[in-house]
Amino acid sequence: MRIWSLVIAVLLTALPALAHHSNAAFDGDKVVVLKGTITQWKWSNPHVWIFLSVDDDKGGKEEWAIEGRTPGQLLRSGWAKSSLKPGDVITIDFSPARDGTKTGLLTRVTLADGTVLGQGPAAQ
Amino acid sequence: MTKTIALLSAALICVLPALAASLRAQEKHPDFTGVYFPINPFGNVRPTPATPPAPAAGNRGTTPPRPVLVLDGREGRPDNAPKLTPEYLAKWEVIRKSRMAGSPEYDPNVRCVSGGMPNMMSMTYGMEVQQTADRITIYGELNDVYRRIYLDGRKASAKVLDDPTFAGYSTGHWEGDTLVVDTVAIREDGLFDTFSPHSDQFTVRERIRFVSPGVLEDQFTNMDPKALVEPFHSVRTYRKAAPPNDQLREFSCAEGLGSTK
Repeated sequence: MRIWSLVIAVLLTALPALAHHSNAAFDGDKVVVLKGTITQWKWSNPHVWIFLSVDDDKGGKEEWAIEGRTPGQLLRSGWAKSSLKPGDVITIDFSPARDGTKTGLLTRVTLADGTVLGQGPAAQ
Repeated sequence: MTKTIALLSAALICVLPALAASLRAQEKHPDFTGVYFPINPFGNVRPTPATPPAPAAGNRGTTPPRPVLVLDGREGRPDNAPKLTPEYLAKWEVIRKSRMAGSPEYDPNVRCVSGGMPNMMSMTYGMEVQQTADRITIYGELNDVYRRIYLDGRKASAKVLDDPTFAGYSTGHWEGDTLVVDTVAIREDGLFDTFSPHSDQFTVRERIRFVSPGVLEDQFTNMDPKALVEPFHSVRTYRKAAPPNDQLREFSCAEGLGSTK
């Protein structure tokens, strides 16, 4: 049952591509998974942004900027403005940008305690 | 005597509009008031994406490719798309190339612009319907759009017809439990069915009704003697939201304009 919740959450990530992006910007055929530390959390219109510092496996850090859905939609999916804060260690799934920059379109966030913040449907 | 009749007539003329409004208020029509979210955001004209794989675990990695709903036209024009005339099919091809290149030119959402009728009724982020006897107002969270449907018998004036808008001008009447809405004066540069172009003669007729408790259905007939070979039909359904999700949030799209982060 739980896997179906995840599946539905992933499936619904097709929606934000409709909402405010040209589909060309992100590679919806891929999902990248990264673990890192939040450096900035922007609860902004029309999309939220998570800035993440990730180990580059060479002793250094990479800075990623991942774009999420709208605050309204996230509120209805169980998020709050206080869901994330700088310093939190999270695992994040996203579709990467086609241009190779370290940006992406959010699929879900998994908090350190295992809580999954998806981007599920509004109340139905 | 003549004076009395004149006075009575004048009194009647004053009272009649209020009487008519009162009678309309007493008519038993369904009340669509409430907040709704789409059950099928893509309408009946696009397939549902196939099941994606489960995500990979670990610090860093990628999952296998997942199916994705592509709406920039890269897969061509679906068989069930509106049947456009050759002139408008050529326009669609121009739009398709633009969207595939990632240009915002024909992508109103990217520019924080209303999708207009009928696309604004996708209501991807929900809609709030407020109904009175004389008017229905629908607010949409996506791009903070709204439209009004007049139920008081008025028709679009020449002035209105000469001033097309994204939402157009909507008038409606009841046929039993179904609200029939006609929308005219829709901007010629609007798009329908994802991004099909239409002419200045484009109109939309809707039939809106409850198909089960809390489930609203909107059947669309898109008509255009210049752009369409035949009317194009589509349907959307919406489910009424329960607390705490029965409230919309400010969208204020322009906050993000001009900034990529």
